[in-house]
Amino acid sequence: MSEPEKSERTKRIHAIKFAAILSVVCCLLITGASTGLKSFQQENRTLDRQKNILRAAGIVTLDAKPSREQIQSLFQEKIHEVEVDATGNFMETGEGKGLSLYLYREGKTLKAYVIPIESRGLWGKIKGYMALEADGETVAGFTVYSHSETPGLGGEIEKAWFQKNFIGKRIFNAANEFVSIAIAKGNVDTLAEKARANHVDGISGATLTGKYLTQGLKENLKQYEAVSVRLRNSKGITDE
Amino acid sequence: MSDGNLTLKETFLRGIWKENPVAYQVLGICSALAVTVQMKTAIVMGLALTVVTGMSNFIISLLRKQIPSTIRIIVELTVIASLVIVIDQVLQAFLYDISKQLSVFVGLIITNCIVLGRAEAFALANPPLPALLDGLGNGLGYGLILVAVAFVRELLGAGKFVGISVIPQAWMDAGYAHMGLMVLAPGAFFIIGLLVWLKNSLPGASHEEKTGQ
Repeated sequence: MSEPEKSERTKRIHAIKFAAILSVVCCLLITGASTGLKSFQQENRTLDRQKNILRAAGIVTLDAKPSREQIQSLFQEKIHEVEVDATGNFMETGEGKGLSLYLYREGKTLKAYVIPIESRGLWGKIKGYMALEADGETVAGFTVYSHSETPGLGGEIEKAWFQKNFIGKRIFNAANEFVSIAIAKGNVDTLAEKARANHVDGISGATLTGKYLTQGLKENLKQYEAVSVRLRNSKGITDE
Repeated sequence: MSDGNLTLKETFLRGIWKENPVAYQVLGICSALAVTVQMKTAIVMGLALTVVTGMSNFIISLLRKQIPSTIRIIVELTVIASLVIVIDQVLQAFLYDISKQLSVFVGLIITNCIVLGRAEAFALANPPLPALLDGLGNGLGYGLILVAVAFVRELLGAGKFVGISVIPQAWMDAGYAHMGLMVLAPGAFFIIGLLVWLKNSLPGASHEEKTGQ
């Protein structure tokens, strides 16, 4: 074997060795970080979701920054997780058949119910909550806790100014048909008077995020339409 | 690059102004378009990139004598990506709010060519301390341009400065309208172009002067 060939060979072996060692080290680092920190992350995520449910229901305001203890105690006291069957009746969770839903009760009266929203976005999934008042048609609040939209453009969906626009909107139109809430292109003021109650202001530069979220809201809310119908038909109903 | 004679201070400052990664090396343009609609996101991205470029330069410089030249790019990328993921995991566990703010930036940092560019152009050929300073300097230089672009875009596009409205209501009543173009990506192209022009027409900073062309 000639000299240059041999050095070429050692070089190659060195490269393979180096690549193997580097891969193993990086793998260990990432796996270590992800498994070692999992319980902390899980706790943070749960807390963040609870905070967003409280915000959607209007128990804390969109701008408020409640502490860990406040979130846990408020959630414990006022929020009750249930499942919904095909006719819009509430069942205790655990049967695993129905859709998941959070009820906000003050004492025995139902104040609002919170629907988990999972929508397509421009770059990834948008996850959040939409709360409807006990009348089954008025939006009590909307929050987003996870998304991958562009910061400053579609990413504005996580901001209070955007979410505030949902409060008081209706998911039924003037003719009492289910229409969900749509994100307008531009300001709601530019729309026809009738449509304004079913639209919120859009975000400039984020037309597609708005379009996907509009679709997503409609699909999600549609699944829970039975609840809306039941509550609308029996005003002041108790949920037991 | 033969940077043997540069002092540490020069190594650090060069990235911020004279050889600014955006204005001079024209790197990192994609993310400069995406995150400069508002100053707040620009600042977060600038700081995050500074930390990552500094650390990746440092680590790659430590390994520089071991890294086989045939697979160096993939090695650099592996180091950068692992580093960013580990930092993100730590933030998610202990500083959840910051981690949520960074959300998509994490992906943008890994693919930002400034990080790879500095590893390739500087860290592979220089000792760890200058490499660290070079990384920090370039990160800050990138942040500087980002903030400058975001300042113009947020002011003209939304009439705001770091989220606070600064256009008096009287102007709005008199028919003042926000410049919609600034909110969209082409607005950033114009501003970056103008900034590069401005920077290169200042004495002592031009590309022509340096290379003698």
